[in-house]
Amino acid sequence: MELEILKEKFYQLVAPSLPNEWDVEEALSHLATAETEHLDEIFAQIPAIWPVSHSLCFAYLSAAGPALCCLALDEMSLWVHTLLDRYETGGLRGAQVFMEDVDQQFARHLRGQGGLRLVDVRSRLQPYVNGLAGRELPLIAADTVATDSESIFLPSEIGLFSGHEENFLLYKLMVSFQWASLQTGVFAAPPSFRLHKKSAHPLDCFFSEFDQPANARSLYHLFETSRVLNFLRHELPGLMREAAALLPQLPLSGDDSSAPNLLDWLQRGLLRDDWSGSLQSPLMDRAIALLQQAREEALDNAASLEAVRELMPLMAVEDNLAQTDPLVFQGTLRLQEMRNLGMKQQADKELRLIKTMTAQLPPATPTAAAEEANAGEAGGQQGQDTALLIDMESAWEQLPPFFQSQSLRLDNSDALLDSMQREHERPGQSRVVEHSVTAAEGKAGQTFVRSSHASPEEGQGMIEPVVYDEWDYRRKGFRKNWCVVTEKELPPVQNTFIEQTLKQYRGQIRRLRHQFELLQTSERFVRRQREGNDIDFDAMVESLADHYAGRPPSDRLFIRLARDQRDIAVTFLVDMSNSTAGWVGQAIKEALVLICEAMEVLNDRYAIYGFSGMRRLRCEVFPVKRMEERYNRTVRQRISAIGPREYTRMAPAIRHMTSLFAQVEAKIRLLIVLSDGKPEDYDDYKGDYAIEDTRHALLEAKAKGVHPFCITIDRQAHEYMAHMYGEVNYIFIDKVKQLPARMSEIYRTLTS
Amino acid sequence: MAGRQMRIDEYRIDEEPYYLATGSELAIAEAAYLDGSPLLLKGPTGCGKTRFMQYLAWRLQRPLVTVSCHDDLSTSDLVGRYLIRAGEAVWTDGPLTMAVRAGAICYLDEIVEARKDTTVVIHPLADDRRQLPIEKRGELLTAPPEFMLAVSYNPGYQSVLKDLKASTRQRFIALSFDYPEPEKEIEIVCQEGRLGLEIAKPLVKLAGMTRGLKDSGLAEGASTRLLIQTGKLIGRGIPVRTACRAAISEALTDDRELLAALDEMISSLF
Repeated sequence: MELEILKEKFYQLVAPSLPNEWDVEEALSHLATAETEHLDEIFAQIPAIWPVSHSLCFAYLSAAGPALCCLALDEMSLWVHTLLDRYETGGLRGAQVFMEDVDQQFARHLRGQGGLRLVDVRSRLQPYVNGLAGRELPLIAADTVATDSESIFLPSEIGLFSGHEENFLLYKLMVSFQWASLQTGVFAAPPSFRLHKKSAHPLDCFFSEFDQPANARSLYHLFETSRVLNFLRHELPGLMREAAALLPQLPLSGDDSSAPNLLDWLQRGLLRDDWSGSLQSPLMDRAIALLQQAREEALDNAASLEAVRELMPLMAVEDNLAQTDPLVFQGTLRLQEMRNLGMKQQADKELRLIKTMTAQLPPATPTAAAEEANAGEAGGQQGQDTALLIDMESAWEQLPPFFQSQSLRLDNSDALLDSMQREHERPGQSRVVEHSVTAAEGKAGQTFVRSSHASPEEGQGMIEPVVYDEWDYRRKGFRKNWCVVTEKELPPVQNTFIEQTLKQYRGQIRRLRHQFELLQTSERFVRRQREGNDIDFDAMVESLADHYAGRPPSDRLFIRLARDQRDIAVTFLVDMSNSTAGWVGQAIKEALVLICEAMEVLNDRYAIYGFSGMRRLRCEVFPVKRMEERYNRTVRQRISAIGPREYTRMAPAIRHMTSLFAQVEAKIRLLIVLSDGKPEDYDDYKGDYAIEDTRHALLEAKAKGVHPFCITIDRQAHEYMAHMYGEVNYIFIDKVKQLPARMSEIYRTLTS
Repeated sequence: MAGRQMRIDEYRIDEEPYYLATGSELAIAEAAYLDGSPLLLKGPTGCGKTRFMQYLAWRLQRPLVTVSCHDDLSTSDLVGRYLIRAGEAVWTDGPLTMAVRAGAICYLDEIVEARKDTTVVIHPLADDRRQLPIEKRGELLTAPPEFMLAVSYNPGYQSVLKDLKASTRQRFIALSFDYPEPEKEIEIVCQEGRLGLEIAKPLVKLAGMTRGLKDSGLAEGASTRLLIQTGKLIGRGIPVRTACRAAISEALTDDRELLAALDEMISSLF
């Protein structure tokens, strides 16, 4: 097709954007020779990609032609879907890698020819390993198998076997093996061994004592592997029984080698139980003997260390065991990372301890503070007061963890070794306790510090920002982890607004309270029941009369006290976008005051949140009243503080409310959204995209048992409303002044 | 009266129930009984609270009247009510009144499930007055020294709505129960599930793993009771993995991914 026609078509699709003609021409030049039906399919995907990234769209146009060689036409949209996911996780580079090799990256998986991917098994293996370890041990994709004591690293894909079952079993073996390595103390410091470098892992120090540390390391790891496998045979016999068929099939680097070295032979012996054919030498004989000896149960790594000590002098200088790859499930020893992590945790722990201690100090007692400063050994002079100490503490916080641990530690390499041994000796279960203790300690420390000399600043984020997906209707899929929602404090405002409102609506409030009282939990007697608290005399008399008249008497002779319990939780989500400035905002605030006053006579739990923000990374939610909070002066002052802010990205706020609702136990969970028009944000979040995303967020809420209801204040009703909110789930109010009265009415109708 | 006496005898426990003490709970409970103090047992489901009560009742040679509380339980359900019999209104004691009259042990299981206004009726019984007013008959029953009140609840799935009032809590001697230590749990599973060590050990290990899955979405791990049930299935000739799946994983969750993970644990252990 003519380049000009393609260009014209392209500009139509991306309107109103006007991208540089050069870029367009260059990207489209790859498609000049493509067939028409291919072109139609390629162009059909542009509207989904262009708004996400222009560069990605150009890259796509360049790659789409060749991609169609390996893809069927109807697979194109799925390919683009995956491409967008890759872009969001790996950026443009990730997307390019994905597009470069369509067959390997996409088509093989589609046809079930690819290996097993970690993403597909994580949901199964993650709880598995958490259960084994008794704590969270995240599974992370990496190039090689390893663990750093806090996570387990696994290859992102295993395609060693043709069947998924075998590949899965290998994944499971890797995970179990790494867990077992932690459990059996493979990384424990050698006993009675003096460290010569504090920042290095004691095992690394141990290896560095030999002429060829790499050889010592490989040997040690193999002996430990044998021990860990024994442990697994004992602890997880089912797994090892299944793995028994798998182990001999695993590839060994000695298989391809013309001159296998000691490690190759030992690996072969270990996995395939094939000890024959090895070279006859004192070293080999001794190594095999030691390895076979090690098969008997050993509780710690002492035997392996001893074996390394014995074998290393026997080895020739030219032996290079590092050439041999570790076993597939064995992976690499990440000793230094583990040590760094340990030091960081230690430093964090000490910092928290110091924080707790300083916070507990009585204010302005110079002597105590000075003593504390000396004890901390972070430098300091006599007569300093607590404030200075706190300054130092915050300066100290700026230091990287390594320096923190170094500056704090006295010359205590023995103590350090002790603590490290403790750290490595009892991994697994005992660590759980340690974790929770540190967590609790941290919390205690923080609250102390805050209460004594820091107050939360206004407008500061109150919880960790939460990340939510966003629905992209063009590709019928989620943009993963797209929006960041932050909860922010709304600084209370003191003014006459509340008083005025209460005065103005005095009559209405009284009436509302009365109406709401009628909604309260009611108790009523139900007559003529088979069982109940008391006898229903009318029924009794009738029954006796029937009996004497020869008719079958009724057995419904009791009165029962029935209680209609209201178990309702409701959240009001208020639009605080710029467009609510003026009367609309005022009416919303008045409506909130009225509803709060009325709600006080009910036992329904309710929360009020405001939302606004700008762009996907700054979606802000302002708690006015939390579910468990009482309606008090602060809440009233926060209602006064509600005011127009930025844009209306409604969906992330709705998703956040839905997730908050997940923690609330109630029979009826109601989300009432108050807004003044279409959802819209500063970036491309507008029009159909915004409406569809909001609609989807409301559907998600409904799926999670939250009933959404939207009150829209606008001059005229719009067609999109019914689509976005659902036919019966919204009400449209055009006379702003009606809002306060209508809102309470709506609430009453919705909940009774 | 004779009829009632016969009924209370049905609540007697003649055979010694199996119970392995894990701490000083027996000594405390017996001391509380002698002092006339009521007992509050708390702990996760299936950890042995009810079994402990049975054992205590057997030791003390008192009948054990158990009431499983639910949110529709009314005061009359506990105290008693008038029923119509042959055209006459006849008073019938509720389980609580029956236990007080007979000097039995009344055990209110999952007390938090009952409505708060219902639980208030036990207040005068649970303090030094040890009295039960029966308003409808204008009767004030004073409990004999043999009577004991015990309640239980599970703090694990306690919501804000289901909490014991402080005025209720503070009348009780509280005993906290948890799953036994692995060695003791193995012993219990061997004994109750009629299993050998080679199966009981990994079963207990499996339970430990499931109890570590709180953060992964499992509200409560496998209880000792589940392990015993699994053991019984195995004893009936059901293959171990199948029994574990039926009695443990499926009983714990409906979530597909968690089920798969539990399956992996089972296939690793057995």
